[in-house]
Amino acid sequence: MSGFAAVLRKDLRLERRSGESTLALLALSMLVLVVLVFALDSARLRSVDVAAGALWVAMVFAGMLGANRALLAERDNGAIRGLLLSPLDPGTLFAAKLVAALIFMAVAEVGAVILMVLFFNLEFDQSIARLAPVLALGAIGFSALATLLSAITGRTRGGDMLLPILAVPIFVPALIAGVKASAAALAGAPLSSMGDWLRIMIAFDVLFVTAGYLLFEHVVGED
Amino acid sequence: MSAPVVETHSLAKTYGLALVLRDLDLRLPSGAGAFVTGGNGAGKSTLLRILAGLEAPSGGRALVFGQDTRKLAARYRRRIGVMAHQSFLYPNLTARENLEFFAELYSLAEPRASADRWLSRIGLAEVADSRVRTFSRGMEQRLSAARAMIAEPALLLLDEPFASLDHDGAEIVAALIRGAIERGAAVIATAHGVPEIEGVEFAVYEISRGRLAEPAPKEEVRRGSRIRSLLGR
Repeated sequence: MSGFAAVLRKDLRLERRSGESTLALLALSMLVLVVLVFALDSARLRSVDVAAGALWVAMVFAGMLGANRALLAERDNGAIRGLLLSPLDPGTLFAAKLVAALIFMAVAEVGAVILMVLFFNLEFDQSIARLAPVLALGAIGFSALATLLSAITGRTRGGDMLLPILAVPIFVPALIAGVKASAAALAGAPLSSMGDWLRIMIAFDVLFVTAGYLLFEHVVGED
Repeated sequence: MSAPVVETHSLAKTYGLALVLRDLDLRLPSGAGAFVTGGNGAGKSTLLRILAGLEAPSGGRALVFGQDTRKLAARYRRRIGVMAHQSFLYPNLTARENLEFFAELYSLAEPRASADRWLSRIGLAEVADSRVRTFSRGMEQRLSAARAMIAEPALLLLDEPFASLDHDGAEIVAALIRGAIERGAAVIATAHGVPEIEGVEFAVYEISRGRLAEPAPKEEVRRGSRIRSLLGR
């Protein structure tokens, strides 16, 4: 547990010092939402379907950046080797990296939701609260997937390009479920009516958190 | 003779068609030191990476504490300290934060106190709160030595520990190595020549064409290195 806490505390300290990940995630979320708002005609701007879709596009792009950055600091000075040589269990390292990526993504999501409400002329009401568990499930699944894949792509040349090519197709089932559940939440539907979509997202989360924990030691390593 | 901390049997390593190490047999007990010398690309760093478990050998076996280095459990990794060409330090953390972080990874009782103690030993107490990215290469090298030794490992693998160090820095690192051997650690260090560490006897091996020559008297290897450097080889 002390290794997990040490890595997480170190990552948060590095982020607090530079602010690189959080600022980049917020800026990217804003950019995506602004582009979509201007690309769509004004008649559709109150559509909860469109708002939910735009939010998830922003979230996926931001999540990709966050996961990449969570492992980037470990590539400087070969720090990843220092971690692998230590008694720290690779599964624990994955868990710490996942939680760090999740925190960065949660900050970006809060910003993206506020922007979505403003840009798409929605209301800050109960529907936003119902959106929270949907976004949390999506963030967990995507962070787990992207953290696992970024450990692989970070070792290759052009890994930054490779990550979206690998991550987005795998994330599609959870993405569809997330968009559908988010649209339902924004339309005021109760959580119970989104059961099937939420179950898909929970299954995705369980699958990739478990896969990441078990496989991380085989994919993380030297350049 | 006590049980060996490091033992290799017919160790070999190839990269593609290039044979870097072959038939390499090495045995080192606790409390002993060995310098592995050789020219650039001789395979010194590769040997250390294999012993640290960072690379798998292509043939033969490498054992550390009697365990195959291909699958070293956490309790054995805890007993190995590695100093490599890269410092493994975080440039945006301070010197104290870096050492404190590694002390926590190794579950030391008082990480902060350990970090401060080691910063004093390496003469960096005054810059404890400066970020590592502001350090010179020599200061970073000293901090890297402290990082490798903070958990007082039973085996130290040091890849050119005196590189980039001025006279005072080299004295500090030499004192740390001497201290490690005196408390019973085994030390394997690589170097182009053979540095002098007062009060400590080191076996000196030379890697040539992938093979490890028998331990040679220090003077002989030093003379050999000198002749090769004069010939530019």
